[in-house]
Amino acid sequence: MQTIRLKLKEGVMSGVAKIPVIVDSLTPDKLSGKSEAEIKAVKVWWGNREENTGDLFEVSVEGEAGSAEEVKVVMEGDLTRVKYIGAGMKTGEIVANGDVDMHCGALMEGGKITVKGNADCWAGREMRGGELIIEGDAGANLCAMYRGETTGMTGGKVIVHGNAGECAGQYMAGGEILIKGNADILAGLNMKGGKITIEGDAIMPGADMTGGEILIKGKVEDMIPSFKFVETTTIEGEEYRKYTGDLAMTEKRAKGVLYVK
Amino acid sequence: MVEITDVVCPLCGCVCDDIVVEVEDNEVKKVRGACAVGKSKLMGHGRIKSPAIRANGVLKDCSYDEAIKKAAEILAAARRPLLYGWSSTVCEATKVGVELAVEIGAVIDNTASVCHGPSVLAIQDVGLPSCTLGEVKNRASLVIYWGANPTSAHGNHMKRYSYISKGYFLPGGKKDKKLVVVDVRETKTAKMADRFIQVEPGKDYLFFSALRAILYGHEDVVPDDVGGVAKKELLELADMMKETPFGIIFFGMGVTQSRGRHNNIINAIQVTRAAHTHTKFNIMPMRGHYNVTGFNQVCTWETGFPFAVDLSRGFAWYNPGETAANDILWRKECDAALFIASDPVSHFPADSIRHLARIPVIQIDPFANPTTEFADVVIPTAVSGVEAEGSVYRMDGIPLRLRKLVDTDYPSDEEVLMRILEEVRAIRAKEGE
Repeated sequence: MQTIRLKLKEGVMSGVAKIPVIVDSLTPDKLSGKSEAEIKAVKVWWGNREENTGDLFEVSVEGEAGSAEEVKVVMEGDLTRVKYIGAGMKTGEIVANGDVDMHCGALMEGGKITVKGNADCWAGREMRGGELIIEGDAGANLCAMYRGETTGMTGGKVIVHGNAGECAGQYMAGGEILIKGNADILAGLNMKGGKITIEGDAIMPGADMTGGEILIKGKVEDMIPSFKFVETTTIEGEEYRKYTGDLAMTEKRAKGVLYVK
Repeated sequence: MVEITDVVCPLCGCVCDDIVVEVEDNEVKKVRGACAVGKSKLMGHGRIKSPAIRANGVLKDCSYDEAIKKAAEILAAARRPLLYGWSSTVCEATKVGVELAVEIGAVIDNTASVCHGPSVLAIQDVGLPSCTLGEVKNRASLVIYWGANPTSAHGNHMKRYSYISKGYFLPGGKKDKKLVVVDVRETKTAKMADRFIQVEPGKDYLFFSALRAILYGHEDVVPDDVGGVAKKELLELADMMKETPFGIIFFGMGVTQSRGRHNNIINAIQVTRAAHTHTKFNIMPMRGHYNVTGFNQVCTWETGFPFAVDLSRGFAWYNPGETAANDILWRKECDAALFIASDPVSHFPADSIRHLARIPVIQIDPFANPTTEFADVVIPTAVSGVEAEGSVYRMDGIPLRLRKLVDTDYPSDEEVLMRILEEVRAIRAKEGE
């Protein structure tokens, strides 16, 4: 097991402008097999210039890893403008100690990311596999897609302990999302597959759904008016109203399922 | 006195091209055919007299050379610069703006991001079944204004292009046409309508979904009340849509900037699509500034994306919500900003403006406005469409050529940008040595 600690230096975020640092080059698979000096020389973008990781982060390496799977990256310091943490990662583990910026776990294929705080928008965007745990709130477009893309998350598992912003799981085609808090408007928008469970409340969930399943344990505000009531059913001892839709997408395509109390 | 006909108005997205202007002693003396705001723009007012640089909190007049050099130094040094505005200048200026953005690795964005940016996003997702304003005038027997109030915002829109205009196939004008207005309050436009439908604020999305289900034949699932509108009203609107041989939805910021934003527009466009199972329907955004559409055109053909383009990493990355002007301002990402042909300080949220007070700001504009108060470098330019010519795009995507009516000593926006770009390149070349 190897632990790579990356602590953002205080000077990076202490100016008038908090210029984002983009760290998709700092995943366990990309850092695996590198010495401390080599990690310090890995390039990261800071605004419109590329810098050495060692110039922006304090870097320390403990232990040895036989493969990338045994690499754990721990990120510390002010991460609120550190974007793309764990983006595209294939294996290993990342722990982010604090609130993180956008695209955390975007295009992730495997491994595990734990955010010990809030994650800004597009966390888990177009995620393909692996596990993403957000201990705080998630911003908008959780597990959704890049602008114009029509497939969001296709695999993996995401747990948000807090609330999720607008359009959670938009264009989701596979995988699972569990939101323990509330979901803002249009969760599961354009959803085509996979499952979203919302333990709290939701507003206008499931619009333009053509597949997949959304289960809402709390209240639903502003139910989409183009869903068809099917039956009352019992899930885990609780009674739910089952709807199919969205009929605004035509009857042929309305294959989404919504469970509402 | 010289009378100039077919003058193209540089005010709103209508870009009326039938204005008559009288010029005497190199001054516009009379304007006929324009709406009140268009006339005011053509007549001229409140110009910035001289370039200026702020020192000890006060703007101090300087030469163009000094202001341009200072602007270039600020931009060349910036790590996350923003170039914003562009909607009230011509395409030729925007083209240089994009080149400058590429050179300095900037975020370039136009006023669409606080206006019809959501429409642009929606169009990328589901397309835009649209037409020209000429087709609307000549063919549209059902005109729907949705979250838009042209009597206040686009003075000549109804008269020239829609409800009140007499068309080739609709010679009776409004006698041959029906006007429907959907809005959260009874606007002046709503008072003129054959039918006004009042929807609760933030509930348009539900309304669109219900309308689509009805147009696809699933009225049975639609509840009795949708967003404060009775199902009966929805059914009657759907019937009106089915019965017209050619209908149009014009939508405004009532839907682009209320709850749901671009998703409202995706839904509205899909209403048009659902109506196509019965008749020919069209939809068009009521674009605000005269060349807001033109910026989106130029930016798309130069970078592949219409607005909010981040060029910091040497390629174009486009993600409104992350890369629009307000995103990088309120999040305090931006470390220098250039504003051209716009007034963000009047329109941006407080958090964004607060950040503007702390970073270097460059303003290029013919007119002083609240943004001038925040600017560290001010560079006045000629008024496009009065003192300088250039290409612009009307709200329906039709390109028109703005005309020059009077002579001026002010340089054009394009010229100033070109000089800043040259200066930036000179600084870069020196750094490289």
